[in-house]
Amino acid sequence: MKSSDLLLVYTGTVIEEDSLTLGQLCKACGTNADMIISLVEESIIEPSGENIHEWRFSGANLVRARFALRLQRDLGINLAGIALVLDLMEEREMLRAQIAASEHRHTLR
Amino acid sequence: MKFKDYYQIMGVPRSATQEEIKRAYRKLARKYHPDVSKEKNAEAKFKELGEAYEVLKDPEKRTAYDKLGANWKAGQDFNPPPDWEQAFEFKGGGFTSDEAGVYSDFFEQLFGHTGFRSAGREHFNVHNRGQDTHAKITIDLEESITGATKTIIFNIPETDAKGYLQLKQRSLNIKIPKGIKPGQHIRLTGQGSPGLGGAQAGDLLLEVAFNPHRLYRVIDTDIYLDLPVTPWEAALGAKIKVPTPEGPVDLSIPANSRQGSKLRIKGRGLPSKKPGDFFVVLQITLPPADSETARSVYRQMQAQLDYNPRQSLGLSL
Repeated sequence: MKSSDLLLVYTGTVIEEDSLTLGQLCKACGTNADMIISLVEESIIEPSGENIHEWRFSGANLVRARFALRLQRDLGINLAGIALVLDLMEEREMLRAQIAASEHRHTLR
Repeated sequence: MKFKDYYQIMGVPRSATQEEIKRAYRKLARKYHPDVSKEKNAEAKFKELGEAYEVLKDPEKRTAYDKLGANWKAGQDFNPPPDWEQAFEFKGGGFTSDEAGVYSDFFEQLFGHTGFRSAGREHFNVHNRGQDTHAKITIDLEESITGATKTIIFNIPETDAKGYLQLKQRSLNIKIPKGIKPGQHIRLTGQGSPGLGGAQAGDLLLEVAFNPHRLYRVIDTDIYLDLPVTPWEAALGAKIKVPTPEGPVDLSIPANSRQGSKLRIKGRGLPSKKPGDFFVVLQITLPPADSETARSVYRQMQAQLDYNPRQSLGLSL
């Protein structure tokens, strides 16, 4: 049997809503807890849970946190600026999706 | 090896001041940042820009680069002058780069390898466990509905025996779990960066995105379909066949349906513990008046229906 006949398939786990702990998020972003706490304080990411021990982050939080860290590193934007950029980008994405949907509708006619 | 014109990349003259270079960098970085930019090749441009700035912002590197002379053209074949290494001591770092494999051969020939310098970022990890790595995987809607196996190929930075970072190509077969949503992540334990000194490897986190579909749009767990219907189907009601990713279903359109009406087929969205719904959005299409029969039907409607769509504009017919 050739080795290419052996198909090794990896099965992962899905990161469900609100399942990442603070430590896991830090590790996934390659940053420290202080930084994540600052992101939460600036409402850039919003965990569920009453206090820091019960904080749970979603996959969407992970995307936003990594995005924020890249913007800070590459463009030197402060956290308040990043929060604004993220909100505007989200709005832009939504508008783009709407445009795409209406263009889609036209091609169907 | 091709010569790189860092001044040209940054769009500044060779006489530019450090302040001008910084301003040019800030402006172009905003334009080409891969997270923000929708320009084609934004990522490649951003890397090139970062490399140019790395050299021009540092007076020592800039002086060395300038010594090569002003006669080189971008893309020209290039080898460093023989006395280069004695003249300048760049090997062995002196700058940091968080991302692996960012700089070109041209840069590395002149200023040396980017050493593996992660110490500053690792202090949360006392055991030197490998870092988590990230990749994106794009799937079709159908693959989420049924579940699937997909092969992804991605570049991953690895440190070689000498501690230098290199991009290695890896391919992995991955099971796509049924019902995965756009924006969700799949965690593959132990498939991230290898740990240092035999420590545990990091995880690979795959962010899931969907290819645009010819028919359907996905919003969270719900699936939307724009369904063309005739005016009489919308007006009189009808039973019609509607495609869904799991096969066609019969749908009753209630009489007096309006343009844009949403009809819900419960539980026919993305599968999960709480499955999403399938929404049909009615798009009323007019039959063309391209025959005498069609024109006579339209004339009959005109004569017999008392319909003014512009009533709300305050106009009479």
